[in-house]
Amino acid sequence: MKKFTIIIFTFLLVASCKNDDGGSSEPTFGNITLDFKNTIDNNGIELTTDIYTNGSGEIYKISELKYIISNVVLIKANGEEFKYPVDEGYFLINEEVVDSKNISLADIPSGEYTKIKFGIGVDQSKYPLNGMANFIPTAEESGMLWSWSAGYKFIKFEGTFGTSDSPFLIHVGSHGTALDNYKEVTLDLPSTLTISASKSQEVAVNADIAKIFDSTNTHSLVTKSDVQVDPVLAPQIAENISTMFSVTSVTN
Amino acid sequence: MKLLSYYIIIILFGTACSSEKDDYVPIVPENKKLEFTIPANFPNPSYNVSLNPPTEKGFELGKKLFYDGRLSSDGVISCGFCHIQDFAFTHHTHIVSHGVDGALGTRNAQPLHNLAFMKEFTWDGAARHLDLQPIIPITAEVEMNETFSSIIKKLEEKPEYVQLFAAAFENQKINSENILKALSQFMIMMISSNSKYDKIERNEGSVFTDNEAAGFELFKSKCASCHAGTLFTDQSYRNNGLAVDPLYNDIGRNRVTGLAEDMHKFKVPTLRNVELTFPYMHDGRLKTLDDVLNHYSDGVVDSETLEPLFKNQSGTLGIPMTTEEKQQIIAFLKTLTDDNFLNDDRFSEF
Repeated sequence: MKKFTIIIFTFLLVASCKNDDGGSSEPTFGNITLDFKNTIDNNGIELTTDIYTNGSGEIYKISELKYIISNVVLIKANGEEFKYPVDEGYFLINEEVVDSKNISLADIPSGEYTKIKFGIGVDQSKYPLNGMANFIPTAEESGMLWSWSAGYKFIKFEGTFGTSDSPFLIHVGSHGTALDNYKEVTLDLPSTLTISASKSQEVAVNADIAKIFDSTNTHSLVTKSDVQVDPVLAPQIAENISTMFSVTSVTN
Repeated sequence: MKLLSYYIIIILFGTACSSEKDDYVPIVPENKKLEFTIPANFPNPSYNVSLNPPTEKGFELGKKLFYDGRLSSDGVISCGFCHIQDFAFTHHTHIVSHGVDGALGTRNAQPLHNLAFMKEFTWDGAARHLDLQPIIPITAEVEMNETFSSIIKKLEEKPEYVQLFAAAFENQKINSENILKALSQFMIMMISSNSKYDKIERNEGSVFTDNEAAGFELFKSKCASCHAGTLFTDQSYRNNGLAVDPLYNDIGRNRVTGLAEDMHKFKVPTLRNVELTFPYMHDGRLKTLDDVLNHYSDGVVDSETLEPLFKNQSGTLGIPMTTEEKQQIIAFLKTLTDDNFLNDDRFSEF
């Protein structure tokens, strides 16, 4: 019996070293870049200069636009999911920083994907399994931590409105355990995303920023220009934000 | 012998594939697991210990971080600066916490013990997990006023930290997750469960004096609906009728939830070691336990969110208590002092 075990172990020992001969059954991996584009009326937004009008007829300019993207999942036609590792899975989109709008995702298993899912913000209810702690330095540097609360701002949207350029400020995050404003969206890809070995593809994601004000809900700046930890308006705006994304193209 | 051959095979297994020669393998000392023991009279912990099991090195690292001023922008204010062991890890005689460059906070530093059994942290519940709580004092301008990137840089420059992180965590990294986990490993071990009260509750031979026993009976009928169970808090948020101090105008839990119903509500604090955690209340406005009981008997101020338990049928507010009853309750509260914990070298700075 003892001899038999040793034989098996020896066999395993030999077999375990075989993974460098590149057999065809080995899984392969590719990379993608998610290119986020923040737009209003299909045009890229211009911070501080361009003047926009929301659905309530209020003119506004944007000075700062940042949001957190997390928990990216690629989904195949059969529903099979590839979840991007959480430890590397938090991204800050900052309109002001061009590089921040291109999210590079590495080591995605080859296959044909038809949908993408991601979160807006941080799913804090999943701590400590959500790998969010190492995102603290990035979030902190870009002002995405609520200083008095161990929580993230999911979106920071600031600017001025009206003819007198009054400031507006919209910060949406979760309110302790009382209210979770984390949202996930699942988007159809306009064409199949084919990931194959050592190839890099691009997925263009459009964020229609006008929808922050006008989508499922309507938000008027005259009514409330400072939205932070607002139990009524913050969830409405979070809901609007979850409708603003679409995938415009897949470049294979 | 059979065991030995298994070991040899396993070793062979491990080495068989290391084709890259001269791989640098840092020498990592053995890191023993620490026993996290739930006291017999305690509930199950809220902290999921299995996701961050305390180890000798993790605890040592957490303690070092806890007492290190590097976690603040001026290099002086450590966690231990406002959380002093002799006073159950509160800031002795300080009304509100002190921060860098003499800055003053707006709230009284809370005692640190039995944190593994708490669900949310800080006076308003802003932190939903113990690991996340230190983010608040570390980053608050009026407390430690520091950033995690800067702390990580400072720690990376110290060889003893590089070694400790390597020894404490599998990925050996100095990063925010490991900083927070190490702090938690230190803090979850801080269990205060050996007061006279505990020894009586566990039938370990202690007995209350007549005064303490009378106080315990009064406590059960007058205080325990909020200061419930062996942790002496039901972990809820309530408005206990303190007049709003215009200096701070602290809105309490409303800041976290934005809900009108949470205006001026604060976490019901644990009463363990309460004899030493003076001054009292979220803003440290009451100096002694007498002051606290006098507040509850005669000082409760009405407001929209006042805890309904303080509204008596007769129309009066507060908890009716005679002077003698108050003294008996205080005698009982003093049985919650845990000298073992207060003098436990494991948690001491030096």
